[in-house]
Amino acid sequence: MAKNIIDVDHVSIRFNLANQKVNNLKEYAIKMAKRELMFQEFFALKDVNLHVKPGESWGLIGTNGSGKSTLLKTITGILKPYEGTVKVRGNIAPMIELGAGFDMELTARENIFLNGAVLGHSEEFMQEHFDDIVEFAGLGNFLDSPIKNYSSGMKARLGFAVATMVDPEVLIVDEVLSVGDYQFRKKCNERMEEMLSGGTTLLYVSHNIDSVKALCTHALWLDHGDVIMSGSAQEVCDAYSTRQEQMYKVERKEKEVKKARKTGNKYDYLVVGAGLYGAVFAHEAYQAGKRCLVIDKRDHIGGNVYTEKTSNINVHKYGAHIFHTNKKPIWDYVNRFSQFNNYVNTPVAVYKDELYNLPFNMNTFSRLWGVKTPREAKDKIAEQIKQLNIGEPKNLEEQALSLVGTDVYEKLIKGYTEKQWGRDCKELPSFIIKRLPLRFTYDNNYFNDRYQGIPEDGYTNIVLKLLEGIDVKLDTDYEAYVKEHPDTFEKVIYTGPIDEYFGYSLGHLEYRTVRFETEELDVENFQGNAVVNYTEREVPYTRIIEHKHFEFGQQPTTIISREYSEEWKPGMEPYYPVNDEKNGALLAKYRELADKEENVIFGGRLGNYKYYNMDQVIEEALLLAQKELKRKIVDLGMDENVGEV
Amino acid sequence: MNTFRYRIRTFFQYKDLIKELVSRDIKLKYRRSFLGYIWSVLNPLLIMIVMTVVFSAMFKRNIENYPVYLLIGRMTYDFLTTSTNGAMRSVTGNAALLKKTYIPKYIFTLSKVTSCMVDFVFSLGALFIVMIATRASFHPHMLLLPVIILQLYIFCCGLGFLLAELNVFFRDIQYIYRAITTAWMYLTPIFYPMEQLPADLQTLIKVFNPMYYYVAQFRDVTLNGQMPGPRIFWGGWIIAFLMLFIGVGIFQKHKDKFILYI
Repeated sequence: MAKNIIDVDHVSIRFNLANQKVNNLKEYAIKMAKRELMFQEFFALKDVNLHVKPGESWGLIGTNGSGKSTLLKTITGILKPYEGTVKVRGNIAPMIELGAGFDMELTARENIFLNGAVLGHSEEFMQEHFDDIVEFAGLGNFLDSPIKNYSSGMKARLGFAVATMVDPEVLIVDEVLSVGDYQFRKKCNERMEEMLSGGTTLLYVSHNIDSVKALCTHALWLDHGDVIMSGSAQEVCDAYSTRQEQMYKVERKEKEVKKARKTGNKYDYLVVGAGLYGAVFAHEAYQAGKRCLVIDKRDHIGGNVYTEKTSNINVHKYGAHIFHTNKKPIWDYVNRFSQFNNYVNTPVAVYKDELYNLPFNMNTFSRLWGVKTPREAKDKIAEQIKQLNIGEPKNLEEQALSLVGTDVYEKLIKGYTEKQWGRDCKELPSFIIKRLPLRFTYDNNYFNDRYQGIPEDGYTNIVLKLLEGIDVKLDTDYEAYVKEHPDTFEKVIYTGPIDEYFGYSLGHLEYRTVRFETEELDVENFQGNAVVNYTEREVPYTRIIEHKHFEFGQQPTTIISREYSEEWKPGMEPYYPVNDEKNGALLAKYRELADKEENVIFGGRLGNYKYYNMDQVIEEALLLAQKELKRKIVDLGMDENVGEV
Repeated sequence: MNTFRYRIRTFFQYKDLIKELVSRDIKLKYRRSFLGYIWSVLNPLLIMIVMTVVFSAMFKRNIENYPVYLLIGRMTYDFLTTSTNGAMRSVTGNAALLKKTYIPKYIFTLSKVTSCMVDFVFSLGALFIVMIATRASFHPHMLLLPVIILQLYIFCCGLGFLLAELNVFFRDIQYIYRAITTAWMYLTPIFYPMEQLPADLQTLIKVFNPMYYYVAQFRDVTLNGQMPGPRIFWGGWIIAFLMLFIGVGIFQKHKDKFILYI
């Protein structure tokens, strides 16, 4: 077994706090006369043991004032232990705050010699390594100007260069590499790794746990002078991080209690609705130190993205939710809360005994007409449209026909649309369909977005993480809550239906709604795809969702949901806002009322009466949070929406 | 014995640091001043001229070559005050460095006194200029000057260590020391002839004022062209080493506690 290079045995360091406050004769005399020269001792280190073998790298971690620097100073010889012994076999190069030995008035050239002498090197030795140092520090033309003119990065560079020019047996690094540009930091890290692989022993103090993990093999965790844990870097760092998080939470709770006492137990925000919009806003407000209460009248969180695990399958309780977005910041944001799988939505349509790929693409056309090339498909469609000879379309049927021709319309659009709206296509207004995208590639990916996937643990878990630490009350109706607890909040974020907020005083906004018939089947794989549309009028449901396929599930049974479109009546679950003239006009009137409502912000799909994809809801919530909390959260590329940051 | 050898070794390890610190002090003192090293000479000259104008009328009859007499006293006293004042702040002033890396603390004190001595040697040029100007003769006894400077240097080191140590624990020692040096100046025959004092006071100063030993030796070899008397010569050595032992002893005893107070 190799001999230890550093042996710290039962070391205690004692400071006398009372004496340190008296540093002049006058006070000393007065205190002595008053007999106040008490002894108030304080142990910065208590019975610390540390044994380091050559070539090991140790990270010292702990909060401020835990004794990390004191231990380093003891090992370096700056402090003498009160009890115990310190033995170091080898020369030490301390890099405790680079450039501490610099004189600002002297030039870099002179400082190199001065700093080298401070580290105990001879002039001759410095002369030998002078060129290496200058090269590493990259100072070039500034060599003969006083370093008071240098930037802090340049000083750090010079300091590092002098400190690491020799291969010391023990290198001591105390949180020094945070300055300097990227290139220099890289150079430093390279140099340090080079020294480590060359057998140098490292003692490293940092608050950055990740860098400790990256650089060190071992770690010592100190807290108020006590060794809490010592061993492999990975284990100690993990334990430390866990503890820090707990402490943070406790502190946070204490702060909240204090704040609550001060403000008479008032919440900063009452968030109505625990869906994505409400949860994202509440999360950001909480991070900004605000107190939030989230209420929801349902008995679960998550709103319509709610997923429930049944027979080990995440069931999308309120319809299929597939996350897709083109915006990297939003994608990065949701990925903070969950891993996403690589699911790509490729729905298929069943018409009688035929099966087609969606969206309408070359696979679809090929199956319809046996065509192979885009040219053939385009000609076929153009020919069908020409035969129909429709001038100004008078209804949805004519509109669709003039866009895609007879076959696509009859087999894939007509029945589905009629089931959706509960009316004949001839009776539907043409504006419902403005365009029908046709794809002349063999690409079955339904969405055009860059990022797509399903959260691996279900959407509910994302919302659960968003709401971590935040007070949530379920089965709670907004109106009833406000009546019962008036004056318990400063501001309301209302994500329920805007018309409901005003008691439907101007009438009901209309929705399209969906009914689900969910059942568990004793087969392993029912339809081979997550989404299958049924486009013929005679089948009562519009589509069947087989939930396990969202997550490539291998469970022994399966759960499917048949979707039925139903006419909406007040009191039913609202799903899709209807963006027609009538509802638009009514919404405008409600908006007017909403604008007069002080301290209430309406948001989300129901609050704004506007259809949102999930990424849009999150973006809207983040934009509101940025504006409301006056801080930048993610860069959405829309700075004008941010308040004074 | 082992610790002694260890100390010698660390001293040699850090001898270049002393060199660097001394050259830094000198460089910084004269850098970017137009006249550079000439200040070392000019400064005592100017003071000498001013004081000669003021005091020569008063003491002229008693003292032969008053400018040289005054200059010797003044330069010696200046060396004492600047070196000991610098030494006093040497440990506290380098707190930032001492807290961060291990350096023997006496290095800073020693280098401060040394750089003042170098400055003192430079300023001897002023003395020689005045001697030439006043047509004073250069005596062979002046070859003893380095020995006298060494005595004074050792004395200042000892006092410097003592003050540096005290200043760590009691910062107001600086004010007290300032009062002491002022009194000390008047109790040393710098600009007045010794003979003008009452006999009792003369005896007291001759025995108990260390500065008297050095100033008197200096004047003997330079102004009077004679060997210093054995009392002041050997007395000078004894006082110098006594001071050094007191200073180093106290410094060494408490040096490990410095870090807690700076």
